[in-house]
Amino acid sequence: MTDTRLIHNVGAGALEWLWAHRDGFRLEPDVDPEIGFLERFKPVGELAMICKVLFREGVAGSRQARLARQLLDHAWRETLDGGRMLVRGQLTEPISPIPFEVYLPFKELGYSQPEVERAAALNHRLDSWVSFEATPTRRLGLSAFQRRFGLPPRPPEAELRGTTWLARTPEPWTVEGHIAYDVTHNVFHLTDWGERPDGLPPGTAEYLATWLPVWIDDWLDLERWDLLGELLVVDACLPRPTLDERAWKGFAAAQQPDGAMPALRTMPEGTPDEVFDIVYHPTLVAAYASVLAMSRSLSRMAEAS
Amino acid sequence: MKQSGTSPLLQGAVQDLASGVVSALRSGDHARAAAVPAAADGEAGGLALAAVRVLGADALLPSTLLHTPPLPDELAVFRKAVETYPPGAGAGPTVVWSHWAMRRTLRRLDPGHADGPDEEPDTAWLEGTTWQLLTHQLAVLAALAVPGEDCGVARAAGQRPVDVARGFVRAVRRRDWRQAAGAGRWLTLLEGVPPTLGLENGLDFVELMGGQDPLVELQVRAARLTRTGAFV
Repeated sequence: MTDTRLIHNVGAGALEWLWAHRDGFRLEPDVDPEIGFLERFKPVGELAMICKVLFREGVAGSRQARLARQLLDHAWRETLDGGRMLVRGQLTEPISPIPFEVYLPFKELGYSQPEVERAAALNHRLDSWVSFEATPTRRLGLSAFQRRFGLPPRPPEAELRGTTWLARTPEPWTVEGHIAYDVTHNVFHLTDWGERPDGLPPGTAEYLATWLPVWIDDWLDLERWDLLGELLVVDACLPRPTLDERAWKGFAAAQQPDGAMPALRTMPEGTPDEVFDIVYHPTLVAAYASVLAMSRSLSRMAEAS
Repeated sequence: MKQSGTSPLLQGAVQDLASGVVSALRSGDHARAAAVPAAADGEAGGLALAAVRVLGADALLPSTLLHTPPLPDELAVFRKAVETYPPGAGAGPTVVWSHWAMRRTLRRLDPGHADGPDEEPDTAWLEGTTWQLLTHQLAVLAALAVPGEDCGVARAAGQRPVDVARGFVRAVRRRDWRQAAGAGRWLTLLEGVPPTLGLENGLDFVELMGGQDPLVELQVRAARLTRTGAFV
């Protein structure tokens, strides 16, 4: 089992980098319509979701908790202009679920923008919203978000759980990058981002306990830190996490002195914005994996004492 | 899983020998051609002998799995390889075990030439090893994965079916078809392999991807014969 200090330091470093580079979470209101205004919302939603996990687990140090709160305030007030940018995004693409998805973690943390809520309630009634084509895992995530918002999920999650790749427990040797990301996100949705590990059906948990060590071993050696970080989150969602020492040491060693986590092998080159766009996600994932693994590690110690 | 320290000539001879074994396993009848070439003199003979030593007990796999007695020439070359290449004083455990497997095969197929007591080497090096290394070592020693033949290595494998299954997945992901095929051959013998592994399709996949290598094809054929119980 990995030293908790090492796990903690990965998350602490990641948050320092995110705070120092908070201006990288930026929207582009004048972007070419072919690219789409909503493209740049995703990082903001991911930031909010992971800061929410950090508050929920309550295992981060006081400085990390303060940085997370400051990051959220910054994202809401500056990036989203108090939520008005979400409204603008919704007016630009009325049927897109993205403003709703970005809004949900903010709402859960006490921020409010009634116009986004009105749009979400209306969209939720549309057959088009229930029917637009999406992967089974994404569809499961959308229904989970509707439940968390307080709407009856359409379609119900129970109808969706069996439709994903992971639910069918296929041959583990066929997993490649895209499938692996589907697996990690499926686990995030089933467990409400690690809040309810018992949301994993027993068969799925057993399948993951058997094969996750192989995938972790593989993507560690390939130095694909972004995916490895997500797999370490999945490990922390299992009934008996391994907190694999070799993987955590490799992950920690890949992190830069300023806290940035490269996506693949080493840090990319480019302008600050280009580097941010590549690196923000693995760095967020590093914070996320760290806080969940810390939480599970501390629970295990508490159980043992 | 490359064969390190072998010359290209020897590698070619090993491939040829493995192809012969594959043909014999495929034909599955008594009138097959010998997999192991008859003894020759000079450099070619030395090379063929060394190739038999590299392939180990699998050089006589058709006789073992199909219960057909080996041809006298085959047996003579096999015996000569056993005698010519005993493990050195500092030989590693896989070398010692692979030689032990050859002697066991010889004892079974040529009881008239039993060569004294044959104590098993120890398996201490496998105890507590990682699943990655365990699978690698087992794949190197896949010639020991013979139905109904107990030994320390087989018992060590039998205690860790999930770990060997993990090693199979790892080898497939890394396109190490020889290791995957060797691990797959062991898995056909083990109880407690997770059904989600999909071993049967996995072996076909390994054959499709790596079967042009006779050393891969040999393991896959051996696994299939083991799985279908053709040896009984």
